Amino acid sequence: MKEIFQRKLFDYLLSKNIENFIGVPDSTMKYFIDQGLKNNKIIVTTREEEAIGIGVGMILSGSPSTIFMQNAGFANSISTISSLVQLYEIPMIFLIGWRGYKSTDAPEHIQIGKIQPNLLSSLDLKSRVIHEKNWKSGCDWAIHRMKNKKPAVLVIRRMKDE
Amino acid sequence: MNRINAMQEIVKYTKNSIIISANGFISRDLHFLNEKNSNFYMIGSMGLASSIGLGVALKNPKKRIFVFDGDGNILMNLGSLTTIGSQKPKNLIHVIFDNSIHESTGGQPTNSKNIKIQNLAKACNYKVFFAKTENKIKTIFQSLKHTAGPVMIVVQITKSDNISPRVEPTPIEIRNRFMMSLKR
Repeated sequence: MKEIFQRKLFDYLLSKNIENFIGVPDSTMKYFIDQGLKNNKIIVTTREEEAIGIGVGMILSGSPSTIFMQNAGFANSISTISSLVQLYEIPMIFLIGWRGYKSTDAPEHIQIGKIQPNLLSSLDLKSRVIHEKNWKSGCDWAIHRMKNKKPAVLVIRRMKDE
Repeated sequence: MNRINAMQEIVKYTKNSIIISANGFISRDLHFLNEKNSNFYMIGSMGLASSIGLGVALKNPKKRIFVFDGDGNILMNLGSLTTIGSQKPKNLIHVIFDNSIHESTGGQPTNSKNIKIQNLAKACNYKVFFAKTENKIKTIFQSLKHTAGPVMIVVQITKSDNISPRVEPTPIEIRNRFMMSLKR
């Protein structure tokens, strides 16, 4: 996703009263995170599960939160998602950068990237892949789910080889 | 002093405060000793009580937020100490019940026998207290009113004699009543 759309994505979620953005950085969404840092709304954690924990605490306090991470970190978090987010039914928006979407991505991303859609469906987590043309409707969908007390996942694919 | 003895002394001072308790015997003991709506019993997601506590503390700066944690639990999420030490929530009181074993899974050793959690916390901007008697717990809690957090209290305990029953309310009940307590 191009820089301008990543920045717009952040601004839009913020304008929809998402108050906290917590996570582990991923280069797929570096401009999104940069926009958040400029707005002083980002907490960078040491691991993805930690970010989910902090987000749960904030959501329990009535403060809507988005958790951002790379798909590798999402895979790290499966147990936390099932035994905390899903068990207690915490309405949380996940923003996941999808490395290994293309088979030409760096080798460490290929296998985990290949199973990313299966990981989401095994957990029964509802997701939308967002890009430059549909990001706004993707956000609206996620916010709607959150208001109905359900988690939602937005996925940004890594399209470029760097 | 085992965990029940220590917790019995501590809940005299936490009264109606918000408490996030770690999974396993810690949540069971809290439920057995001091069941109330403002307890968040974290029954899964081992390691994350301190992170949930940080999120609650940052959003409720006027309330004192307690985390009841274990040595095995915090060792699993040591990174959270650096995040807490960076965010510096003044209202967070992080209690570690340290028996140097994974008691809930059969008493296997943890590394807290070799590495002092107090030292890790000090390096992460916590104000650190240590207790191994009920009297010391009392002294610490009496002085806490004047101490800005993040505070860590490491309570050295022995293995328990009894196992408390499982937490009764369902996760959804725990969530709903906890959220209501935070609104007050």
